[in-house]
Amino acid sequence: MDLFFDLKRKKIGYSRIGRIYLSSKVKTYFSTPNLVIPMKNTLISDFNFLEFFENHEIFFITKEIFLKIGFLREKFRNTSFIYSHDGTLAEYRKILDHNPHIFSQDNVCSIIPFNVPTTSVDKDFALQEIKNYIDHVRNILEAYPNSSFGINIKIFDHPELINLYPPLIKEKLNIKIINFADLFDTFKNFRSILKVIVKIKKELNNNIAIMASGRIIPKSYPLLVYLGIDLIDSSYMMYLSAENFYNTIEDLLPIYKLKALPCPCIVCSGKLSELFQEKYSNEKIMLLTLHNLISAKSYMNKIRQYLDTEDYRAFLEKSIHDDTLFYSSLKELDKNYFEDVKLETPISSRNTLIRSIGSISYFRPDFKIFRERVIRNFRPESWTKLILILPCSAKKPYSESKSHKYFYKAIRKFPEFPDFQEIVLTSPLGAIPRQLENVYPVNSYDIPVTGDWSYEELQISSQMLIEIIKKYDTSIPVICHLKKGGYSLIMDIAAKSLEHDIQFTNVDDNLTSREALKSLENTIRVNKDNYLSKSDSIPENHLRKTWIRKLIKIADYQYGLGSGNKLFVEGIKTKRNQTGTKIKIFNKKNNESIGRFDFRTGQIKLSINGAKKLLPFEENINYLIFDGEKIKGSNLFRPGVIDFSPNIMPESNVFVLNKTKQKIIAMGNAIIGSNNIKNTKKGIVAEIYEKI
Amino acid sequence: MKKFSENNSLISRIKSIRQNVVNKKSKDYNIALDKPVSHWIKEDRLLNEIGKEFTIILRTRGCSWALGDSGGCSMCGYITDSNIKPVKSEDIIRQFDFAVEQKINEIKSSQENFILKIFNSGSFFDDEEITEQVRNHIYEVIKSIDKIKEVVVESRVEFIDLTKLKKMKEILDDKYIEIAIGLETVDDYIRNNYINKGLLYDDFLKAVDLCKKLRLGIRVYLLFKAPFLNEQAAIDDCINSVNKLIKLQVDTISINPINIQRGSFLEYLWYQKRYRPPWFYSLIKALKKVLLNKKKTVPIRIISDPSGAGTKRGIHNCLKKECNENMLSLLRKFVLTQDVNELVKEVPECECKLQYKLKKIYL
Repeated sequence: MDLFFDLKRKKIGYSRIGRIYLSSKVKTYFSTPNLVIPMKNTLISDFNFLEFFENHEIFFITKEIFLKIGFLREKFRNTSFIYSHDGTLAEYRKILDHNPHIFSQDNVCSIIPFNVPTTSVDKDFALQEIKNYIDHVRNILEAYPNSSFGINIKIFDHPELINLYPPLIKEKLNIKIINFADLFDTFKNFRSILKVIVKIKKELNNNIAIMASGRIIPKSYPLLVYLGIDLIDSSYMMYLSAENFYNTIEDLLPIYKLKALPCPCIVCSGKLSELFQEKYSNEKIMLLTLHNLISAKSYMNKIRQYLDTEDYRAFLEKSIHDDTLFYSSLKELDKNYFEDVKLETPISSRNTLIRSIGSISYFRPDFKIFRERVIRNFRPESWTKLILILPCSAKKPYSESKSHKYFYKAIRKFPEFPDFQEIVLTSPLGAIPRQLENVYPVNSYDIPVTGDWSYEELQISSQMLIEIIKKYDTSIPVICHLKKGGYSLIMDIAAKSLEHDIQFTNVDDNLTSREALKSLENTIRVNKDNYLSKSDSIPENHLRKTWIRKLIKIADYQYGLGSGNKLFVEGIKTKRNQTGTKIKIFNKKNNESIGRFDFRTGQIKLSINGAKKLLPFEENINYLIFDGEKIKGSNLFRPGVIDFSPNIMPESNVFVLNKTKQKIIAMGNAIIGSNNIKNTKKGIVAEIYEKI
Repeated sequence: MKKFSENNSLISRIKSIRQNVVNKKSKDYNIALDKPVSHWIKEDRLLNEIGKEFTIILRTRGCSWALGDSGGCSMCGYITDSNIKPVKSEDIIRQFDFAVEQKINEIKSSQENFILKIFNSGSFFDDEEITEQVRNHIYEVIKSIDKIKEVVVESRVEFIDLTKLKKMKEILDDKYIEIAIGLETVDDYIRNNYINKGLLYDDFLKAVDLCKKLRLGIRVYLLFKAPFLNEQAAIDDCINSVNKLIKLQVDTISINPINIQRGSFLEYLWYQKRYRPPWFYSLIKALKKVLLNKKKTVPIRIISDPSGAGTKRGIHNCLKKECNENMLSLLRKFVLTQDVNELVKEVPECECKLQYKLKKIYL
């Protein structure tokens, strides 16, 4: 058996969608993240269990006998099994030695147990026990070099002990699953949990599947998936059921508290609805177990769906409100591990609405990445004479909203409007130069608007505004067309750190009323010629058109300062596709394709021709060095990559260079970031959309 | 000193808990040293018949291992029965004579034969606990009671030597003598790292050889569910140990499910809910698994007389009286008859069986 984890899509945080191939010979696999369902005698004797979980992809078994029972093998032919033994390592070794034919099957992976000791005395005791376990594991792995195994990781509440495991995992290539057996027993030590996860993610081979077992409750599943867990063992549901707990997803309620069953599953709509208020019976406990497993699986299905097609971070933010410790965990991860999570988080997300519900959203990694990048990569246009500060709109991009269309009526009365730098204030993305309004996540976020801004929101937006306006000559006037309250408060805070002349238009309550727009127009008229540019370079007119202004800034945002000019200085022609989802960009002079802008991802994809204009590369360019001269097929796999730039984020545009680094031989989209590329031996690295 | 364990954390924890107990205990001046800790008569399995046991627990200075540098065993609290300070030989003789005097009539008038068990919560052959003079006195008294067919004494292996065994054999020539050794498990790692027994299997084998040479019986104590083991590991360990001891051909295997003893390290784990005494289901399961698959009947006496059975501190299923009593009577019948079929007899199934099945991996 040659099991391995294959990553399909990297998602926000450490979350990822993948497949686990249990065999390289037979192409059977199961998808991740997934729930591992316990298969026990007590459970399989229930017809409902067999029926409901018939098509489930992966089960946990603790008796090798299940692999010998004919009807089970028949029924679950295409199913995968994880086997482990509940007792001593010595007994496990005996079972392994006596059943080599079973454990060499294509659909079984066995995890080397670490049940003893059940607890520890102190750190030294735990250290000794882990060393002892590792010695035994090494022994087994060496005795069965051609079989794949999972190993258990226990840290006994001492996060630093995680350091004992990586050397073994790196050394023994037949370790294909690592199972955190006690890490998630309680989130009280969430700092330890994060330390361990970050360490493992930073160091270990990306092709190793990560599993979590122990005392895991369903409401933690979304967070576990965000932390990069591929497999979650649901065995603890059996224990909870025996303790009379009913899984409502948000919580586990003692069943006696329930007035009516809140779930429509086969059990709850069936026999359990008759029994749940009666006193203890084994039948009730069995039904409860079944409901708890079914509801756990349904929740996992939902998680998989949101992870695949929706804004998973928003789903997670909703779910962490189920437990204060989950909230703390996410906050801590955002705050203290941003640099680690950054390279794991896709630079854009396609076709999803990004909901920013509350303060926990302010520092989601993609937002923070955006803010940092804008501050770093945005450079004023040399011809700017006036800065206009505008509020955001619910509709994205802003310029297509009603309010902004009204603003345009006033602003675009002036033929020199390209000389005005519009900046849109918003929460929690901060301050957005108009040119970047089509970039992810500006193109797709949504926030609850009440007019009340929290302290944190004011700080984020004003700080960013300061950083951007500071890039401009202090004698350039700043005009604010903002309502009193939140927006103007941002301006007030920013004004304290700025030397610019800041003026407010005369507005009452409505920014789009005739009077307000008139005031905007008048204020522009009065101030537009106040700034006398010190430079006498007059920009070529072709660079002042709306879309070329946007593309230059987007290119700077994506590829680094100055990239926009290099790409588009000769002028461009653009052409929208029929559905209006893309703009193709050509060189105005020779009609050569430079690339295309995709509205759904908010990114420019450069063509090879376009990419060549960026040569020689600035330090921030993302590249992969291919082991050869010519790429075949539309995917670039890890073995073909001999070197890569250090800051690649998933979903970013990457340049593929030939072995000697002299030639761009293809352009692609990265599937995984630099850290994962470093730690990966197999699997896809980038999708290629153009090659020579 | 020989090094038995890989780490000192457990030892230092046990030692500090032990020290507290010992300090308290040594201030206690009111212990009667001329009476035994306890003595009783009850039904028991003899080698080839059902008979009675006469048990005497002597109060001595206490187990050298528990009083020594290593702090003793993690589950043991017997030191609370001991005197800590040396007990004079005359006192111990008085203790023994007292018990015998009390029961001699009952023994003589009984229909059944007797097995005499002399325990001292330590080592019978440790001269610091029981002097040669005391041992010889005891031998002579036993010799004089016909009804007593079997004698059991217990000792750590380091105190067992040829001279002492020879002497015992010499005087008690017509009795069946069993030397009981607390091996606890055949697994050296569990024994020394989790129990802190300070005993290697190889040293145990040497003592066994010695006994075999003198044709003395060997009784081995096994601990069921040592600290740091879960239920299944307890089952695995028990099966493994019993099988190995059957091969070794010892005479009696006594399986002792843990009970939480006062003043032990294990009590501390138990208070913190980091240890639960074993379930009866596990013990029965282990016994069945060992014995049912054997084609021939095993010529070895397998006994188990759990202390504290059915209580929170002892082996128990749920805390229902009936459930535990059913289990206990199943076990007793097996022990008395040595018939495996007693174990598979149907008892009314308690609701906690399902609890056990669903929760087992977390216990």
